[in-house]
Amino acid sequence: MTRPGALGGYVRGDTPVHALDARAKVAALILATVGSFGARSWAGLALMGLLLAGALAASRTTPRAVLRGLRPALVILSFSLLANAVVLVGQPGISWEGLLRGARAVVRIALVVGLALVVSSTTTPPALAEGLAAVMAPLRVVGVPVGGVSTALSVALRSIPLTMEEIERIRCAQLARGARLDAGGVVGRLRGWGQVLVPLIVGLFRRADELARAMSDRCYTGEQTSMAGPLALRDGLVIALFAVGAALALVLW
Amino acid sequence: MLEARGVWAGYGAEPVVRGASLCVAPGERVVLVGRNGSGKSTLARVLNGSVRPRRGTLVLDGAAGPVRTELARAVGFVRQDPRNQIVSALVEDEVAFGPRNLGLAREEVSERVREALAATGLSSLGGRMTSELSGGQQQLLAVAGVLAMRPRYLVLDEAGSQLDEATRARLADIVDALLARGVGVLEVAHAPEAVFGATRVLVMSEGTPVCAGAPRDFLGSEELLVRSGLSDDALAWAVHEGVRSGYVPGRRLDAGALAEHLSGEADLEGRDGFFAPRAVACAPAGPSVDLRDVSVTYGDVRALADVSLAVSGVTLLLGVSGSGKTTAGRVLAGVQEPDEGEAALDGRPVVPGDVGLAFQRPEDQLFADTVLDDIAYGPLMRTGDAERAHEAARRAAETLGVGEELFEQSPFELSGGQMRRVALAGVAAAEPAAYVFDEPTAGLDAPSRRALLELVRALASGGAAVAVITHDAGEWLSAADRVVFLRQGSVTAEAPAARALAAPELFRETGLRPPALVELRALVGRDRD
Repeated sequence: MTRPGALGGYVRGDTPVHALDARAKVAALILATVGSFGARSWAGLALMGLLLAGALAASRTTPRAVLRGLRPALVILSFSLLANAVVLVGQPGISWEGLLRGARAVVRIALVVGLALVVSSTTTPPALAEGLAAVMAPLRVVGVPVGGVSTALSVALRSIPLTMEEIERIRCAQLARGARLDAGGVVGRLRGWGQVLVPLIVGLFRRADELARAMSDRCYTGEQTSMAGPLALRDGLVIALFAVGAALALVLW
Repeated sequence: MLEARGVWAGYGAEPVVRGASLCVAPGERVVLVGRNGSGKSTLARVLNGSVRPRRGTLVLDGAAGPVRTELARAVGFVRQDPRNQIVSALVEDEVAFGPRNLGLAREEVSERVREALAATGLSSLGGRMTSELSGGQQQLLAVAGVLAMRPRYLVLDEAGSQLDEATRARLADIVDALLARGVGVLEVAHAPEAVFGATRVLVMSEGTPVCAGAPRDFLGSEELLVRSGLSDDALAWAVHEGVRSGYVPGRRLDAGALAEHLSGEADLEGRDGFFAPRAVACAPAGPSVDLRDVSVTYGDVRALADVSLAVSGVTLLLGVSGSGKTTAGRVLAGVQEPDEGEAALDGRPVVPGDVGLAFQRPEDQLFADTVLDDIAYGPLMRTGDAERAHEAARRAAETLGVGEELFEQSPFELSGGQMRRVALAGVAAAEPAAYVFDEPTAGLDAPSRRALLELVRALASGGAAVAVITHDAGEWLSAADRVVFLRQGSVTAEAPAARALAAPELFRETGLRPPALVELRALVGRDRD
């Protein structure tokens, strides 16, 4: 059954960003994160903003989607803005310097959220998992099972819609037996959800067990052929662009 | 040749597979039938190495005691529920999973993915998300994932039991193509259709597969049918009657050829006439649950478009997957708010709790600490009186054959069959005026399916309205009063069951493949006129 995709979930499309290699996108996202948090001046942040604007345009993501993505963090962001701006010690009032400092922090976070949204909505879960694995590859040296981590991530991403489906079915079954899951104040509601959790968790453990069997039935051992080909020229260009952008943001005064 | 010699295996203290021997040669299709819990699945899993036998040996192409990876590579395994088999969120990537594990080169992996998707008819869906596919497509995808490993043997563990008739036929075509290429197939099945075209039929009996010979020998023997449980299946019994009057089962069940060997409608009514159609009632008495101008939309997908229908007596909701029947069931039960319209029970809007709702998997509806508390939950919510609730629970437990010795156990520790009875008792204990059963018989053996038909009939004669959503229309029709056909979120036809069970055209108009029993009844009826 098709349900509307969750925010940040993969959306099929044929934009230039969809066509980029996942490794390039993950690398660019990491570079942009370094650039956004390391930028020393407004000029640096503006440069990263320019890159974000380019990414949004190239992936046909609306700025509204970015705002929606920021919504869960809204309270914390506005609080940090206020906390920086309001001076209580000494002479109480509004500090413009503090406000700017707070605004800068908010802008940094917005930049990263926007780019992360672009990456996650244009990359299929398995490609994203493989992209992360590629970027993590150096950790192999210190004994991190990179292939396993990537598969685990891919399976987890696959399980999200399944789990949602399961919760929905259990809820329906319990409602039909007269459970009042949304009634009775906070305690009642929590108890109601606990009731949904029991069969959900039992079910998920069984499913996980069965899936593990299914994986070893298909000879899964931990290492897999990488399906990523050599990076195309455009992938290299995008990485280079973000590398230069991030470097400039770090040095621009 | 894939061979098991004197294998003992099982999960619990008592092994369910006891000294089993069987073999599957390349290009052979061996069908294993038997009741739920007889050890068929465990034996199937021994053959691909996912269950280690406690005693006995496996022989793979002449080599005794192959290691797990060798077995897994040579023997593909397809489960009943594709959701437990699909690993990836993306169709192509799912098919690539096996070949990638084999460490094949990238080009080889891509080549195999293309080939497996083409063989299963999924080529156009390669870039889709797996969760977007219908249940039937997901099962074909699971098969594609196994084919991409190019196994020499294939084990299908009730792989068709959750599929509609059209997808089952497609799966049978895929298997035929594999057999022609020399793949050896072991098929564990509950449906009599699977027996057709088998090289050999085995009946699981007391933990051991007993050879029942060619399909004709098996289907012609009452004793073997009884042992496999299939004597309780209306279609299997009709084929049995046909074989006794000279019908020779071919590669597939051919309704036309079989009908010529049937003496009359009595042959379609089961061994003891249990599946005789119900007398035509004008309108079943008792309550009725209705949908009135109901529309439901998920995102931009219209699941139900302005649907009005009435459920009274036993009413079947039929349609291909994605036709909106499950959504209709949830709205009927009052657990899903429609975007427009309403569900009404005897004219009043349905509130959750008015209508009992049972799903295919009992695990989805159990949650209490003990069996008795679980069964008593519905009545307790309804009356708020613990004593009366427990009384109602005991009554329901007795009706459904849940023994008192289980009352204090956790419902999650029970066997599959017991769990199902507890779940049904929990729904029935609140004595709702109406019920919705969503795929109640998928994956059940013939005796359990028959018991469920009996239960539903008993609920209806007790005055309840029952909606049954099912892929197995053939058997249910004889227990039903009315049938509603759905297609793409709209009602395409409504008919009394007495008419639908001899009207294959009603099924075709809805995009469904008519069940064999319906085709047979139409043919037998026509001959007589």
